[in-house]
Amino acid sequence: MSATRRSPVTGAVTLLGVVFLWAPLLLVVLFSLHSTGSLTFPFQGFSLRWYEEIFSSPQVRLAAQNSLIVATSSALITLLLGTLAAYGLARSSSRLRGPLALLFFLPITLPGLFIGIALLVAFSRVQVTLSLVTVTVAHLVYVFPFFFLIARSALERLDPALEEAASDLGANRWTVFRRVTIPQVWPILVGAACLAFALSFDEFVITFFVIGPDSTLPLFIWSSLRRTVDPSINAISSLLLLFTLILFMVTFALATWGERRRRGRGLAEDPLALTPVPVAKGAA
Amino acid sequence: MTAVEPRVRVEGITHRFGELTALDDVVLDIAPGELLTLLGPSGCGKTTLLRIIAGFERPSEGRVLIDGDDVTSLPANKRPTNLVFQRPTLFPHLDVFGNVAFGLSVARVDKAEQRRRVAEALALVRLEGYEKRRSHELSGGQMQRVALARALVNRPAVLLLDEPLSALDLKIRLEMEVELRRVHRETGATFVYVTHDQREAMALSDRLVVMNDGHVEQVDTPTEVYRCPSSVFAAQFVGDANVLPVEVLEADSGGSSLLALGEHRMRVACPPTAAGPAWLVLRPEAVRVAGSNANGLPDALTGRVRDVAFRGTGFTYRIELPALGLHVKAETHVASVPHEVDEPVAVEWDGDACWLLERAASETEPPPPPIAAEADLEIAPEPGR
Repeated sequence: MSATRRSPVTGAVTLLGVVFLWAPLLLVVLFSLHSTGSLTFPFQGFSLRWYEEIFSSPQVRLAAQNSLIVATSSALITLLLGTLAAYGLARSSSRLRGPLALLFFLPITLPGLFIGIALLVAFSRVQVTLSLVTVTVAHLVYVFPFFFLIARSALERLDPALEEAASDLGANRWTVFRRVTIPQVWPILVGAACLAFALSFDEFVITFFVIGPDSTLPLFIWSSLRRTVDPSINAISSLLLLFTLILFMVTFALATWGERRRRGRGLAEDPLALTPVPVAKGAA
Repeated sequence: MTAVEPRVRVEGITHRFGELTALDDVVLDIAPGELLTLLGPSGCGKTTLLRIIAGFERPSEGRVLIDGDDVTSLPANKRPTNLVFQRPTLFPHLDVFGNVAFGLSVARVDKAEQRRRVAEALALVRLEGYEKRRSHELSGGQMQRVALARALVNRPAVLLLDEPLSALDLKIRLEMEVELRRVHRETGATFVYVTHDQREAMALSDRLVVMNDGHVEQVDTPTEVYRCPSSVFAAQFVGDANVLPVEVLEADSGGSSLLALGEHRMRVACPPTAAGPAWLVLRPEAVRVAGSNANGLPDALTGRVRDVAFRGTGFTYRIELPALGLHVKAETHVASVPHEVDEPVAVEWDGDACWLLERAASETEPPPPPIAAEADLEIAPEPGR
């Protein structure tokens, strides 16, 4: 147990793990830049032709546009509702505080398949036509817990004495929220909304169940793959990967910056506060 | 003083947290312009009382009047009070100017007036030119000065201070005490100060309110509380004290009583007390320590040094008096001849440096001296981090 010296086996296993994780991704990116339509080695040279192809395809553009609409609306709605829910719970002294918080973030454990089927059944029961609206609602169910967790822990880490100080200086509750609470946490909240956006943007399983005649980018990739293995799929996937990576970086940067600004100095450890926060005293 | 309408009147405040009674029928008048300190150990209810005056807690019973107006049901943001918190609570997203101007800007005071009053308030706490600093660029003492300016800029009817110096180092704390006294003099504002530090309380206050277990033990000037404590608790909490069980043999209306301390008889000058059991309160600095060979001292007052500590200004001794079965604390001047541990010594004190308090016949040992603060139990929990 106390093996402080690394054995060569550990090194090899680690390397294997890293290769296993990253090689397929790199292959996709590599072949998205392939000059021929072949998806196998030998590699015959670089070109951007597949990127040109997807940018000129109206179907890809439509799917991308749909994905953007869905991701933007679910991120914005989550930002609004999640902030209110997290703030309400963080400042509440109700006995239901713990159980309610649990209800809000527990859906994080639901399998996408389950959410998808459940919502499909629900939508057809109340006879809602499947559309981008139903997809947005479904994505809200999916991304809300992620946002809520981050927002709640950011709000709970705020010093309540600061809000008391503001109200002592004459500010009413709304003024306190607007001028003291939000200015301290908005970078983290916006960062969490970016994360929600990224999660929604490349969501596939749930979308598959509740989408109507429209298509989103992940669905478009899947349906193209059913027909033929086309290298342009690699290009779309690579762009999706890049886009998501950028969003995650923005999330992280905003959260770090926000936390630093709030605490004043030093680098924030765990800026997204993903280390579990105790739900509430006596809730467990 | 009684003719003046009190700035704050606390009328029969009782406050319960569930089963716990934090405050029990507290009555208090605070005069305009005075610096009044609520002094007591952790959990005595002093912070709760301050928060009730500030409007953060609604009392279970009783009323709070400010300048004659009943404010009991007003929330904190509608009261003419401002609070300086124990921990610095500067808004981290605002600079010093933004912090100090916060109350004015919420009240929609115009910008030019804001600048003028902020500059005035910063000058008052000697932080001119700090407008653009952020809170993390300030020291602990500077942060509390900004907090003081942020409260005073609103010209509150009462400035409430909740142990504002307790988070600071001793040196800075002593400097800040001087500053607080100066600010109080210069503004003429009414200050209500909460602390568990009796030294700080005595150094700052016009009047002390000694609190214990939810009720007020004594309200008086620091010198009066020190000289004439109204209870064993007040005697032990404010300053150090020897509290010795004695019997009053003869109570003389002329202000001199004959006491028995064990077999030893002595005459002390105290206000008349009924004959019977009593506590003799004896401040350590009133106890003189002499070498055992000093002539004329009764056997009862001879003993041995059990502990000695050098305090800079003098020595503190703990002396065992075997004939009385007692220990006595004594403080001597630095210029006096030091005594060593186990050295035989004799003690004596002046009969007019004593104070008598009532004692039930069943009590032979004074209660253990209260502990000012183990941890600050009364403050709000730290944000979960």
